[in-house]
Amino acid sequence: MHPCRDLLVGMLLCVLHSGSLLNTAEPLIIAAASDLGPAMDELKWLHPQPITVVLGSTGLLARQIAQVAPFDLFFAANRSFADDLVRNGHGVADSAVLYGRGRIVVWTRAAAPAPAPVTLTDLLADRFVHIAIANPEHAPYGQAAKEALQNGGWWDRLEPRMVYGENVSQTLQLAQSGNADVAIVALSLAVAAPGGRWMLIDDALHAPIDQVAVMTTQARDPIASRAFLAAVASPAGRTIMRRYGFVLPGEALDSTLLRTPDAP
Amino acid sequence: MTDWSAFWLSIQVTLCGLAIAVAVGLPLAVLLALRRFPGRNLLEVLVTAPLVLPPTVLGYYVLVSVGRSSAIGRFWESLTGGPIVFSMTGCVLAATIAALPFVVKNSRSALEAVDPGLMEAAANLGAGFPRRLWTILLPLARRGIIGGCMLGFAKALGDFGVTLMVAGNIPGRTQTAPLAIYDHLLSGRDAQAQGLVLALTGLGILVLWLVNTWANPRPTDRRS
Repeated sequence: MHPCRDLLVGMLLCVLHSGSLLNTAEPLIIAAASDLGPAMDELKWLHPQPITVVLGSTGLLARQIAQVAPFDLFFAANRSFADDLVRNGHGVADSAVLYGRGRIVVWTRAAAPAPAPVTLTDLLADRFVHIAIANPEHAPYGQAAKEALQNGGWWDRLEPRMVYGENVSQTLQLAQSGNADVAIVALSLAVAAPGGRWMLIDDALHAPIDQVAVMTTQARDPIASRAFLAAVASPAGRTIMRRYGFVLPGEALDSTLLRTPDAP
Repeated sequence: MTDWSAFWLSIQVTLCGLAIAVAVGLPLAVLLALRRFPGRNLLEVLVTAPLVLPPTVLGYYVLVSVGRSSAIGRFWESLTGGPIVFSMTGCVLAATIAALPFVVKNSRSALEAVDPGLMEAAANLGAGFPRRLWTILLPLARRGIIGGCMLGFAKALGDFGVTLMVAGNIPGRTQTAPLAIYDHLLSGRDAQAQGLVLALTGLGILVLWLVNTWANPRPTDRRS
C-alpha cells in the first residue's frame, strides 16, 4: 500500500472514531441571556457532560424555543419570558428556578480621557454624548436601565443621547469600542470585561431583574438537564454566581462588586 | 396598526445610499469596462466584495474604519460636529455599501456589451470622449445600468447586519424597516411587523420583476 494512502486511511479512521466518541455523550444545549456569557464559561465545568452555550437576547431565544429550537435549558434574564414559555407549553413548570437577581452598572472605558461618572446625575454632563443601553423593548437589562433613568428623573433629558444595542453584550461592545461614551450593562459582564470602570446602580431604582431558568419541553435529556439546574443552585454554583453579582433574595452583594476594584 | 416611520426612513436612507453608490459606482464601472490598468482586478474584487462577505465582517470593518475612535471618524466629527455611527449618515453608509456592487457589476457588463465599433466610428468623426460617453455609451447601456440600480436599491433597503452594528437602532432616527421588524418580532408585536414585512416583500418582488422584464429581458421577450 502506498504510504500516503495509509496515512489518509488512518486519518479517516481517526475522524470516524472521534465522531462516534462524541456521539456517546451528546452535549446539553443551553440557551442563555447574553449577560450570562462569562458566568456560563465557569458553570459548565460543574457538569460531567459537555455543554454548548448559545447566547442571545432573551426575547430572541424565547422566540426560537417557541419554534422548537433544540435547546434543553433556557436561562432567561427576566422571569416573564420564562413564565411565558411555561404558559405556552414550551417550558416545564416544575423545573423553573430563580438563579439570581441581576444588577445594572454604569460602565465606562478606563482609557477614556474624561472622568468616569460617580452618580447617575453625572450622566447629564455634555461629555457623555452617546449612552448605550440594551433595547428596552425586548432586553431585560435595557428595560431596567430605562426604568432606573426614568425613576431618577433623568430619562427625558438623556433620551436623545440613547443608542440601543441588540442585547446587553453588544451594548457593552459599543462602549468598549469607544463609539458610545458610556453604557448601562449587567454587572455580570462588567466584572469580566477588561479595560473598564463601573459603578453599581441602586436597585431601588428599577424592578428586580429576576433571572429564571427553565427546562424546555423539547429537552432531549431531562435527567441531565435537571442535574445541571441543581448544580447551578448548589454551593459551588452559588459561589460562581455570587462572583458575577447574581445574588438571591436575602443574600448580600459582595462589597467588592460595588465599583471597580482600585488598580494596585 | 403598523408604524410606517421606519419604512419611510428606510426609503430615504436607501435613496441617499443609492445616489452615492451611483455617483461613485458609475465612473468606476466606466473605468473598469473601458480601461486596462494595473490593479484593475483588485479594484473590482474590492468593490464587489460586499456581495460575498458576511454582514458582521462588513459591520466590523465599518466600525473600525469610521467609528468614533478611528481617524476618519474623528475627522468627520470635527467637520460636522456629529459622528458617522449612530446617525443617519451611518445608515446611508451601510446602504451605499450594499448597493455599490450591484451598480458597478451590472453597469460594467452593460457598458462592455456596447459595440466598440460605434465608439470608434464616433471618435473618427471627431467626437471627444465626454460626448461619446454621453450620447452613445450611457444611452445604449441604460437598461443594464438602471437594472443594477434597482437591484442595488432592493439590496440596500433590506440591509440588516451592517446597519445593526453601526447605527444604534434609534427609533425615528436610525431604526430602518428591517431593524424595526426584528424588534417587533422579538417583542411579540407580530401584527406591527406584518405590514412592514409585506411592504418589503412586495417591493423586493416588484424590483426583481421589473429587472427581469424590462431592464434585462430574455431574448425571446425582446421587441425591437
